[in-house]
Amino acid sequence: MRTLSARSVLLGLAAPLGALLFAVLVCALILIVSGHSPVTAVDSLLTSASRPRTTVNSINSAIGYYLAAVAVAIGFRMKLFNIGVDGQYRLAAMLSAALAGAAFMESLPSFLRVTMTVVAAMLVGAVWAGIAALLKVTRGVSEVITTIMLNAIATNLVAYLLNPDRLAEAVPGSNNISTRPITEGGQVPGIAIPGSTSALFGLVFLAVAVGVGYWFLFGRTRLGFEIKATGLSESAAVASGVSVKKMVLLSMLLSGAVAGLIGLPQLLGSSHSYALDFPPGLGFIGIAVALLGRNHPIGMAFAALLWGFLDNSSTSLDIAGVPREIVLIMQGVIVLSVVVAYELVRRYRVRAEQRDVGRALAIQKSPEEVSV
Amino acid sequence: MRRMRGVRLAAGLFALGIGLASCASDTQPGGDGGTSGAPAPSTVKVGLAYDIGGRGDQSFNDSAARGLDKAKSEFGVEVTELEAAQGETDAQKEDRLRQLAESGHNVIIAVGFAYEKALSAAAADYPEAKFAIIDSAAPEAANVANLTFAEHEGSFLVGVVAGLKSKTGNVGFIGGVNTPLIQKFEVGFEQGVKAVKPDATVQVKYLTQPPDFTGFNDPAKGTTAANGMLDAGADVIYPAAGGSGAGAFEAAKAKGAMGIGVDSDQYNLPALANVKDVIITSMVKNVDVAVYDFIKAVKDGQFKSGLQVYDLASGGVSFATSGGKIDDIVPQVEEYKEKIVSGEIQVKDTK
Amino acid sequence: MSTEPPGGEPALAVELTGITKRFPGVVANSDVNIAVRPGTVHALVGENGAGKSTLMKILYGMQRPDEGAIAVNGSPVDFHSPADAIRAGIGMVHQHFMLADNLTVLENVVLGDEPRGGLGLDFAAARRRIREISEAYGLGVRPDRLVDELGVGERQRVEILKVLYRGARILILDEPTAVLVPQEVDELFGNLRDLKAEGLTILFISHKLDEVLSVADDITVMRRGTTVASVAPEETTARKLAELMVGSALPVPELRESTVTDRPVLTVANLTLADADGRKVLDDISFTIHAGEVLGIAGVEGNGQAELVEALMGIRKPDSGSVHLAGEDISRLSTRARRESGMGYIPEDRHRQGVLLEATLWENRVLGHQSRRPSARGPLIDRRSARADTQRIVETYDVRTPGIDVHASALSGGNQQKLIVGREMSGNPVVLIASHPTRGVDVGAQAAIWDHIRRARAEHLAVLLISADLDELIGMSDTLAVILRGRLVADYDPGTVTPQDLGSAMTGAGRDAE
Repeated sequence: MRTLSARSVLLGLAAPLGALLFAVLVCALILIVSGHSPVTAVDSLLTSASRPRTTVNSINSAIGYYLAAVAVAIGFRMKLFNIGVDGQYRLAAMLSAALAGAAFMESLPSFLRVTMTVVAAMLVGAVWAGIAALLKVTRGVSEVITTIMLNAIATNLVAYLLNPDRLAEAVPGSNNISTRPITEGGQVPGIAIPGSTSALFGLVFLAVAVGVGYWFLFGRTRLGFEIKATGLSESAAVASGVSVKKMVLLSMLLSGAVAGLIGLPQLLGSSHSYALDFPPGLGFIGIAVALLGRNHPIGMAFAALLWGFLDNSSTSLDIAGVPREIVLIMQGVIVLSVVVAYELVRRYRVRAEQRDVGRALAIQKSPEEVSV
Repeated sequence: MRRMRGVRLAAGLFALGIGLASCASDTQPGGDGGTSGAPAPSTVKVGLAYDIGGRGDQSFNDSAARGLDKAKSEFGVEVTELEAAQGETDAQKEDRLRQLAESGHNVIIAVGFAYEKALSAAAADYPEAKFAIIDSAAPEAANVANLTFAEHEGSFLVGVVAGLKSKTGNVGFIGGVNTPLIQKFEVGFEQGVKAVKPDATVQVKYLTQPPDFTGFNDPAKGTTAANGMLDAGADVIYPAAGGSGAGAFEAAKAKGAMGIGVDSDQYNLPALANVKDVIITSMVKNVDVAVYDFIKAVKDGQFKSGLQVYDLASGGVSFATSGGKIDDIVPQVEEYKEKIVSGEIQVKDTK
Repeated sequence: MSTEPPGGEPALAVELTGITKRFPGVVANSDVNIAVRPGTVHALVGENGAGKSTLMKILYGMQRPDEGAIAVNGSPVDFHSPADAIRAGIGMVHQHFMLADNLTVLENVVLGDEPRGGLGLDFAAARRRIREISEAYGLGVRPDRLVDELGVGERQRVEILKVLYRGARILILDEPTAVLVPQEVDELFGNLRDLKAEGLTILFISHKLDEVLSVADDITVMRRGTTVASVAPEETTARKLAELMVGSALPVPELRESTVTDRPVLTVANLTLADADGRKVLDDISFTIHAGEVLGIAGVEGNGQAELVEALMGIRKPDSGSVHLAGEDISRLSTRARRESGMGYIPEDRHRQGVLLEATLWENRVLGHQSRRPSARGPLIDRRSARADTQRIVETYDVRTPGIDVHASALSGGNQQKLIVGREMSGNPVVLIASHPTRGVDVGAQAAIWDHIRRARAEHLAVLLISADLDELIGMSDTLAVILRGRLVADYDPGTVTPQDLGSAMTGAGRDAE
C-alpha cells in the first residue's frame, strides 16, 4: 500500500498542476497574440499578491466561494447537481438580513442575534433546496431543471421583497435600496490585519467549521457513507438498504443549508444589509471551485483561495494595462482542463491499480508456478 | 487515500506559485513600482472606475467615457480607466478606488451608485485626492462631489412628446432593471404623458429584477417586451434599458411605431444607425457633461464637494431634436420645460 | 508437451507461434502456441484470467503482440486493427451482443458496412445476400424482423450472420453458450456443424467443458497466460480438462448428508407482483425454506427470478402475499430492517448491486452493514473495526488482494464475489439469498463459494439459490423448483433430475408431459 499511496500523491499532483500549467500557457499565449506582455501580467499579479489588502480581500472572497463549493459538493457526492445554490444563498442572505436588521433584534445579546441570523439563513436555504428535493422524490423531476427555475423565482421573490413597502427601506440620497442596516450588535466583527484597510471576515471560522463538518460527515458518519454510496451506485445502495429518496431529500436539505450560509460572511462582516448590489453569482463560482477541488474539503479550500486571488487581482492587471478579462479566461481554462486532467488521471489510476493487484497476486502465486 | 487529495492540490498550487515566481524574476526593471509619492498638485491624473459593462455599453458608461475623452483631448490629462466585474463586493470596488489613489491619481470618478460604500471608505484615506460619484447623493465628504441627475424631469419632457405624438393614446415604458433609479424614469415619463393626454394608457415593463442586471444589455429581451406592448396597442416606446433599447427600436421599426432614446442622443449613435428613423427624440442625461465639468473644475482649482444636481434648469438633462421628427411640437415641449424650471410643475421622482 | 494436432496437410487456418503480450508489470500471454486446422471447431478453454481474451484480441487485431507470429491460411499477417483482421477473413462474435434493438435484422447486419447503390442504400441486394447466407448455413434468420422481437438464440445467429456477411471464413465465438438454455445450445452446435461442413473454421472460447467435448475437434487449454496442452476430445474427459485448466483437482457442486430440519425459516405465501403494464411478473408464489435447507430455483432469465429476490429483500413492494422470517411477518419491513433481522443477500448483478466499484474494499464491507457493528457505532462509521473485519474476511474467504485500501474495481470478479459472500455471511444471518453466486467467476472462486454455501447450510441457514448453471443447482440444492413466467411450475428432487428435464420445464416444454 505504501507504493500505491506514494504514486497517488504524484498522480494527484499531476492533475491540478497540469491543468494550471496548461491554463497559464494558454493565457500567456493569448496575451502575446493580443499584443500584451505576459511578463507584465505576472508582475502585477505578484504585486497584488504582496499587498496585504488584496490578500485579505482574496481570503474574504474565498470564504464565500468555499461555502458555495461545499454546498455544491454535498450534492455532487450524490451525483445531484444543485445549480440552485445561487438562488438559495441570495434568498437566505436577503431574508436573514431582514431578520438581523429588524428593530426587535436590537435588544437581544449579540451572540444570540448572530446565531439566530445564521440559523435563519440555513433554514431558508434548506427550504428552498428542499422544494427541488421534494419534486424529485415525489414526481421524479430533475433537480437540474427545478433548481434553475427556483433561481429565477428567488430572483423575483427577492426583488419583490426588497421594496420599501415590504422588507427594505430606501437609502436616503442614494439610488440603492436595501434591508434595514444591521446594527453593531448583529454584526460579526472582522479581524484586523496589519497593513490592510480591509479586515478578515470573522465568519472565516464558520467556513472552517463547515469544512470540518463536511469532512466529518463524509469521512466518519453513516449518513455520509450512505450518501456517498448512493452517489457511487444507486442500485447497490438500494440493495444495501439505503433509501435513495431519503438520501436525495437529506443531501439537498444539507446542501441548501450550507448554501444559506454563503452570503453571511459578507453580510455580517461588511455589507451589513442586503442591497441591490449584494454580490450575486457565488453559487455558480461554487460549482467551478468544487470541480477544481474535487469535492475534497482541503482541495476546495485551495481552489477557493486561487479563485479569490484571481478575482481580486484583476484590478491590478487593469492598472498595468493587461485586460482584466484574462482572469476570466484563466478561470475558464482551468476548469475545463482540470476536468479533463482528472478524468485522464482517474483512468490511469484505475489501470495502474488493477496492474498492481495483478502483480501483487502474481508474486504471491509465483512459487507454485512451473514453466511449461 | 482520499486524505491525500487535498495535500496534492495544495502542492499543485504551491508549485504553480513557484512557476509564476520564476517567470517573474526577470521582470524587475520596468515596473512602475509601489512608491506613489504625493502627486504634484499642478498635474492632474484622472482615474475613472466604471460600473458593470464598462466602456462600450452604448449607454451610461459610454456617456461617462465621452466626457473623459473630451477632457483628455482638451486638457491633455493622463487617464486610467478601470471596469467593474459582475458579482463584485464592496471590498473589491474599494480596492479599485484605492489602487487608483495609490498609483497617483488625484481625480477619481466612480460611475454608478454601487460605489457609494466603497467610496465612503476609500475617500477618507486619501484627503488630497478629489473624488466624484455619479448617481448617488452619498457619501458626504469634503473631497467627494456627488453628481446626480433629474432623470424624472427629462423623462417628463419625452413623456410629453410621447403623449402628443401617440395616435392610439397608448405608450410603453421599458425599464432595463427594476431599480429605484430606473423607476425615476418611469414616474417622470408617465407624468409627462398624462400631462398632455390624461386618459392615455402607459404600459410598464421591467426586463429583469436585480441582482440580474442583464436587462441593461440584452436586446432580445427588449424586442420581446416591445412587441408585447406594440401588440397591446402602443405606438410609442420609451426604453430606459441601456443596450437592450436597440432591441426595442428594432421591434418598433418592424411595426412602424416610434421610439424614444435614453441617456445619449441616440438618433446620432453610429451603433443605432439602422433604427434611427424610429427614434423621434431622446431623454439626454449628460453624464459626459458632468464628468467633463468635474475634471475641469478640479484642474482649475474650482472643486466643490457635495451634491450637484444636473437638472433641466442646469442643462444636465434635456430632450433631443435630432432628426427633426418633433419639430412641430418643440414649442409645446419647451413650454413644459419652462414650467418645470420655474417650479410651476413639480415632477415626482418616486412612485 | 505440445501435441501437434494430427493431419495438417493443408495450410493451417490460424497458427499462433510464441505469442507473448506484456502489460506493464504483468505478462498477459507468454509463449502461446496454437494451431487451428481449417474446417474444424477448435476450442480454447481456460479459467477466467487465463489469457483467452487477450489472445483473441490479438488475433482480432485489437492488440498487437510483443513477440511471436500469426499466420492465417499459411501466410504471415500483422494486424493493426480489427479491420485488418476482417479483411483477412476473421470475424468475432462477442459474448455481449452488439445489436440495436430498434433496428431490423437487415439494418443491424449492414450497419457499418452499408451497401451503396447509386446515391441511396441498396437494401434489396443486402436482403438477398442475408437470405442466401441464412439458407446456406441453416441459420433461419429473417432479415426484416425487429431485433427487439428476437430471442437470445436468434440474436446470436444474427451476430454470426453479421460476421459471415462481412466475408469471414474464420469465426471467433467468445463464450457463446453463456447466455443460452440447453436446447438453444444444441441448436447453436447444429449451426456450428453446418458452418464447419461448409469449410469454415471456428475458434470457440468456453469454460463449459461438456459443451467443448461435444462440439470441438481440437482443444487447446490455457492456464496463467500460456497454452498448457492441446488435446483431442476423444482422448480426454471433462474432469481431466478441468484439472488441466486449474492445474489441480477440481471442485464438484455436491452436498453431503442432509442437514434439512423441520424448522421453517423463510416462508413465502402467495406473493404476487405486477409490472407497470399490469402483467404479473410474480404470480402467486409460495414456498418454505427450512433451517439447513437449500432451495434452488431454476428458470430462463427474465421469468421473475430477479423480481422474486427483490420482493424478498424489500426492494420491490409486492401487490399481495406475505413473507415470514422465523415466524415473524417481515412483509412490511424496509430493506435495511430485513437485512438487520438476518437476511444475507448476494445480488445477481455484482457490479450494479453488490459492490461500489470506486470504493475501497473496507468501504464495500460496510455496504449493507452500515447500521450494524462492527461497521458502525451509532450514527458513526467505525473505521477501525470495519477495517479489521474486512481484513478478517479477506483472510477467511481468501480474497486475493494486496490490501483492503484498493478499489473493488481492481479485483477480479471471483475475488469481488468472495468479498461479497464474506460480507453477507457476517453478522449472523439466518437466511442467505444467493442470486447467481458463481456467475462469471473462475473455478477456484466457484469452489470456494460452494464451500461457503455448504457451510452456511451446515450452520442451519435457510438458503435460496438462484442460478442459470443447472449443474450447480442440481448439485447444491436440497429442493429444486422451476420458475416460468412468474409462477413456480414444478418441483424436482435434485437427486434424480437431469439438466435436460430442468431445461424442458424452464422453457415450458415439459409442462404437458407432467
